[in-house]
Amino acid sequence: MVAVLEKEFMLSLAENAVKTALRRGAAEAETFVYEGKATNIGIERGQITKSDRILDRGIGVRIQVNKAIGFAYTNIVENQKAIEEAIGKALDAAHASKPDKDWKGLPEKKTYAPIENTFDQKILELHSNDLVNVASRMLDAAVEADKRVFPIEGGCGAAYVSNAIANSNGVSGFDRATLIECSLATLAKEGNTVTPVCFEFSAERDNNIDPEWVGKEAARLAVSALKTKRIETKNYELIFTQFALQELLYYTLVNAVKADNVERNQSPFKDKLGTQVGSEKLNIYDDGLFPGGLRTGMFDGEGTPHQKTLLMEKGVLRSFLYDNYTARKAGKESTGNGSRAGYLSTPSVEATNFHILPGNKTADELLSEIDDGLIVCYLQGAHSSNPVNGEFSVVATPAWRIRKGKVEHATRGVMLAGNIFELLKNINEVSNNERKMGQLVSPWLRVANVKVIGK
Amino acid sequence: MKDLLTKITNAATEKFGAEYAEARAQKLFKTSFTMKEGRVEAAKQGIENGVALRALVKGSWGFASVGSLNTEILTDAISDACAMAKQASSRLKNPIKLAETKAVEDHVQVKPKRNPSEISIEDKLKTASLTNDVTLKCDRRVKSCTIDYFDLTGTSYFTNNEGTYLEQDKLYVWSRLTASALQNGVFAFSREEIGSTSGYEIFDKETPEIIGERLAKRAILQLSAKSPKGGTFPAVLGPNVVGVFVHEAFGHLAEADLALSGGVLANNLGKKIASDVVTFYDDGTINGAFGSFKYDDEGVPAKKTLLIKDGVVTGLMNNRETAQKFSVEPTGNARAEDFRVEPIIRMRNTYMAPRDCSFEELIEDVDFGYYFKSFRGGQANLDGTFQVGIQEAYEIVKGEVGEPIRDASISGNTLETLLKVDAAGKDFELSAGRCGKGQTAFIGDGGPNIRVREVIVGGSA
Repeated sequence: MVAVLEKEFMLSLAENAVKTALRRGAAEAETFVYEGKATNIGIERGQITKSDRILDRGIGVRIQVNKAIGFAYTNIVENQKAIEEAIGKALDAAHASKPDKDWKGLPEKKTYAPIENTFDQKILELHSNDLVNVASRMLDAAVEADKRVFPIEGGCGAAYVSNAIANSNGVSGFDRATLIECSLATLAKEGNTVTPVCFEFSAERDNNIDPEWVGKEAARLAVSALKTKRIETKNYELIFTQFALQELLYYTLVNAVKADNVERNQSPFKDKLGTQVGSEKLNIYDDGLFPGGLRTGMFDGEGTPHQKTLLMEKGVLRSFLYDNYTARKAGKESTGNGSRAGYLSTPSVEATNFHILPGNKTADELLSEIDDGLIVCYLQGAHSSNPVNGEFSVVATPAWRIRKGKVEHATRGVMLAGNIFELLKNINEVSNNERKMGQLVSPWLRVANVKVIGK
Repeated sequence: MKDLLTKITNAATEKFGAEYAEARAQKLFKTSFTMKEGRVEAAKQGIENGVALRALVKGSWGFASVGSLNTEILTDAISDACAMAKQASSRLKNPIKLAETKAVEDHVQVKPKRNPSEISIEDKLKTASLTNDVTLKCDRRVKSCTIDYFDLTGTSYFTNNEGTYLEQDKLYVWSRLTASALQNGVFAFSREEIGSTSGYEIFDKETPEIIGERLAKRAILQLSAKSPKGGTFPAVLGPNVVGVFVHEAFGHLAEADLALSGGVLANNLGKKIASDVVTFYDDGTINGAFGSFKYDDEGVPAKKTLLIKDGVVTGLMNNRETAQKFSVEPTGNARAEDFRVEPIIRMRNTYMAPRDCSFEELIEDVDFGYYFKSFRGGQANLDGTFQVGIQEAYEIVKGEVGEPIRDASISGNTLETLLKVDAAGKDFELSAGRCGKGQTAFIGDGGPNIRVREVIVGGSA
């Protein structure tokens, strides 16, 4: 990868832009400087076909005038004029907006705790040749596992992200991180049967991924989806793996604990603090400091230190997630959940590492205790769940039938329907096979009595 | 711009060993905001300039994206792209080739009645604020209203080493609105999405009064709705649901890259897979529609592509690479979200052609079933399993529309379901939407009301 911008340079860019904004009439100002670099190798239809690199830099400026907020950004950071222009546009946007009576200021300066395992110099030094090698190992592992497997797409990538933040209250921070990942989507073909797409990946902040495992697993899952049988419509005991949980919870549970939704009457958890909202097996933290977590960093998108926030303790709701605005509106402290999509956006409430704590049983034990049930890996349509009341109606593509503690066969196109908040109460076991997946860190969850519509 | 970009593509072919090279530059200006119960979180304006460079070397692609128009930086980037392509080609069995296209030079201008870049942020905020007021005042049970607004204007430049040079004005206006309602502990949720490539005049048709009322009334209706039964039922799908069905369940399978990846359509070209009433198009030429444009991001003119005619598969959506594999002409479906990413095969405006039934004729024979009027989201799988989440639906009882139901979704196998479409209406609507395939694309979809003999309904009752 090409040389990166120095910490001192990014911080001075951010701090100088704050000064300029104040000089030009902003009552408060905050600037966010971003640099992202990535190199990727792409696999299409069984072979490596492409390589790309992206370099994206920019600065976002948030200012307050008369309690009205304006924001502007530019991706031209080497040119002072472009930054001046962005500041002007942010001021214009604020002048065009009405005052917000709930605005109580930008975050104050706080000290940042050290974080572990988020940066690895080795990833920065990887060349596209090294990544071609990683992708090849993954691809070979998949194809050699079984002749019926067809890798349809995937690849591997190495990325570096750094950001600097400054505001008119003296907040000043710089953080950098690396990520390496590889992934493979496969399907298996036999005669006229084509399986649904199966997927596996490995992603880490240090140069320590396992491409062979990804290839083998992606192949194994696809092959195991070949033999299908229909199942009858009734209520089953279900195991949700991390893939399914990631989909299902993102649009429902994670939304319900965001203070923004709570304050705006869009969460069923309003007025539920201190009450039992889930099974006693359920313990959840939002942990922005989780060592090696895929969303771990020193601070959030508005410079508030990341922290570990207890959300659910033995099923009892303990806290919501706040950014600076929602926290001050509620008379609380920000939990460091003001998230931001690079330099292009203003902060909004988002989970960091949404950590469902593991239990004591192994995955095999969880499975072996099921008399008649399903294990659900991939879901289709979770994004169409009702984000306000938690109703979901999704397709499992595929799910595997469990009889007397053993996985028997796959089943295709069955639908699962219910309410996520009811489902949380019916969790009867949590395994110990924790895994990081995007913002989720979770084991498998076993749930009793879920409505399954067979085909 | 032409000289700069041509210099870069020439360097690729003359110095760095590329068989093909293209440069796509963008100068974009975006305005956006999110309004919650009338409060603007932050009005935003952004400037983005950048260049995407792509080169084919020894049959592999190399791609580099930079946020700069500096000659030196671009030359460095194309050199990298070519070197990376060469490395990627080390284990290539089937080198990539491109279908031939005619070199073209053109300057595409948009002529909006109301150009969003000339409308003040105050005015845009005022329109949203009015819509918010209509929504919240419609009924006391409406508790929240979120309005996202976005517009983009600017110019996109394209050149390749084959002599094509294009300058295209870009214009998109988009808004998504959601509302929630609450009564006796029952939560309901409703969404609307509008979008146009013709100009800000979309809000003269979709006025705050019209959108606000539609949004609020749908949320209120859900409060009294019951859960649907789970199982297999006959159904009538409204134009809005048909659009998503055509896009998700069929459209993705007809994207040539996915068809080649083992999707169920690859072996069905020229075969009858749907009932006689089924005719589908993907059309990039509809004036002002959200998925329309003149040239795609490989410089190929956007066409009106017939995908299914009277039940027979007639074509796929192709870029230059897949067109070469199928020995057909590219259809102008190669699109990139911006200069940060490479073009891939995307839909434009995908729809089912109307037939001649009235709505009454569609429902009169249904003894018990569901009328799915408006969708919330949808998703498909390569094996042909589709799912469409529904936000507004009703029972059909003895040939008449009955009580509302809430939070249903429908599913099935695309090919099986297409054979079960037994009647189509004469009305037609096209909706604006966005599609995610790693990148976001602005699209349109639609159709008439249709009747399907059976779909799986994922209900919890």
